[in-house]
Amino acid sequence: MHSSSCCCCCSSFLLFLLPLLLALVWSTGRFSGISGNCRLSAGVGFGSMKPVIVVHGGAGRIFKDREEGARSGVTRAALKGYSILKQGGNALDAVEEAVTSMEDDPHFNAGCGSVLNEKGEVEMDAIIMDGKNLASGAVSAVKCIANPIKLARLVMEKTEHMLLTDHGANLFAKAMGVPEIPGEKLITQRSRERWNKNLEPDSNPQEFKKDPGTVGAVAIDNEGNVACATSTGGLANKLVGRVGDSACIGSGGYADNHVGAISTTGHGESMMKVVLARLILYHMEQGMSPVEAADTALNYMKTRVGGLGGVIVVSNSGDWAARFSTKQMSWATVKDDQLQYGIYTGEIHTSSVAEALESK
Amino acid sequence: MSTKPVLVVHGGAWAIPDEFAERSILGVKNAVKSGFAVLEMGGSSMKAVEIAVRALEDDTVFDAGHGAVLNADGYVELDAIIMNGKTLAAGAVSCIRNISNPVTFACSVLKKTPYVMLTGTGANQFAEKLGIPQVPVEELVTDHAKAEWEQYRKYKQTVKSLFNTELVHDTVGAVAIDCEGNMACATSTGGITNKMVGRVGDTPVIGSGGYADNLVGAVSATGHGESIMKVTLARLILFHMEQDLHTTRSSMCGSLHYCAEVGEQPSLRHQLLPSLPDPVEAFLQVKLQRKLQILLFTIWRRESMDGEEL
Repeated sequence: MHSSSCCCCCSSFLLFLLPLLLALVWSTGRFSGISGNCRLSAGVGFGSMKPVIVVHGGAGRIFKDREEGARSGVTRAALKGYSILKQGGNALDAVEEAVTSMEDDPHFNAGCGSVLNEKGEVEMDAIIMDGKNLASGAVSAVKCIANPIKLARLVMEKTEHMLLTDHGANLFAKAMGVPEIPGEKLITQRSRERWNKNLEPDSNPQEFKKDPGTVGAVAIDNEGNVACATSTGGLANKLVGRVGDSACIGSGGYADNHVGAISTTGHGESMMKVVLARLILYHMEQGMSPVEAADTALNYMKTRVGGLGGVIVVSNSGDWAARFSTKQMSWATVKDDQLQYGIYTGEIHTSSVAEALESK
Repeated sequence: MSTKPVLVVHGGAWAIPDEFAERSILGVKNAVKSGFAVLEMGGSSMKAVEIAVRALEDDTVFDAGHGAVLNADGYVELDAIIMNGKTLAAGAVSCIRNISNPVTFACSVLKKTPYVMLTGTGANQFAEKLGIPQVPVEELVTDHAKAEWEQYRKYKQTVKSLFNTELVHDTVGAVAIDCEGNMACATSTGGITNKMVGRVGDTPVIGSGGYADNLVGAVSATGHGESIMKVTLARLILFHMEQDLHTTRSSMCGSLHYCAEVGEQPSLRHQLLPSLPDPVEAFLQVKLQRKLQILLFTIWRRESMDGEEL
């Protein structure tokens, strides 16, 4: 009798445990992106993930008179992206909105405010990627449009391709009804002055590398989907047709729901040589935190190929990082209704979203 | 200690029709002989892969250089990449026109500019500056490429369905290790028939169409470009190899499985062809049951039991 009542207790206990066990198996049964042969693409949260957005306005040398504009620009972009996430919007929309904001902001080297190529024209690269299904769209050497990131998204959603370049990208923009704008509209006095300065005989091309390049954003939404977006005018006085990391999947950005999302900035050629975005995610797959992964990869890039840069990272559990090996990188993040931002190493300003919106 | 040089080439992963099979085999054999002659004389892996891929570009049976497929406008737009595993320097060109040997031009980008990638009109202007001869497009276009283009324009096939037929060409590439143990890769393509003007696939995108790193190995990829890009296939394979040099085959299988899944392929049948006798390269041919074929060649360095390089 005693043993039979024990059996009843045991089976009740097991029945109680079973759903817990099943939940445990489900949550740990996600194969890593590298070795698995089963791809679970849904985010982990089913509406329960706290959304996070991180943006950057470029790593490099930010002149003193541009600092306030940079801080202001990245915070505005982060807040815009966050408002989409807060209302239940998806990560892809959030990163697109954040990057569009910075493309429209003449303080940044993307869209309006882009640096000029050697001929004095604006040629832009951009990429957007959806961590849910690894879909991506990118454009390189595109001219005369205000928002390359929007065009990149159209490439992803309206074509069967992932990268369109040059004249073909512009043809596609026309076919999509994207307004063509005169190239001069994207050129600021600042970018024109720098272009002229760089043409002087005593200018040092190595110095061009130090100018901040590129804007970007990464986000995770409340369903646990991650996305990244990166956009740039490239290198000052670059050769016509030069394409940097920003249009190259794995270098300028990468997003994978299994791990996280990255957007990079800095010396494009160095980032391409180490496929920086993908490298950081690889480290995270091996168990490193976003900060460790970013620092390890940036250090590797510095020692192996002598390149400096910055990255923003969000993991699929909502951890984030903004790290850079240059002196400065403007960045901002919003998580838990709290805004943080900075430019120099160790500089972190914090305020609530409510306060920040009020002050704007 | 000197390394035994190795060169592996591919002429593209696709359903090669019978009438092309013999020419394709001859073509890759010819290319590997040309490239290996460089290595035998103590030449660099960079030179070897360039020479091998040039031979494939000049051979009209392959979709690269001469014999390249046509875009939606009936024009030839070419992509290529070359990478130096010692320094990680790379040169890539995308969407270039009227050039016979994009791989050589990619090499010029690597050697003569501080950049990794040039595209389109700007790339062509730079080629002109370097004195690279511009060839009329008719010289690059074969009757077969034209016929393919007409068929697909007529039926408005999509990218995915292209890989379901027998008529699609694909990319060429090579990987090598020279007697100093330096590695290199090169890949070159005309892309896919009836692609949108300005469409760039995996080939010139570093980490996707190719990657080389003396510390690990070199890869050249071919197949459905967009899927390869989604998983940054070349770099992915090397990540696997970094984890354990001795599980390269399983790493490649795993990577291809993953790529197939992302590319919406149901499953893989794969067969391992016998390894070449020495030193260690394996040639993995993967046939997918539906649509996508990826032929992947990699080489890697293997250390002997006591840590000496073979």
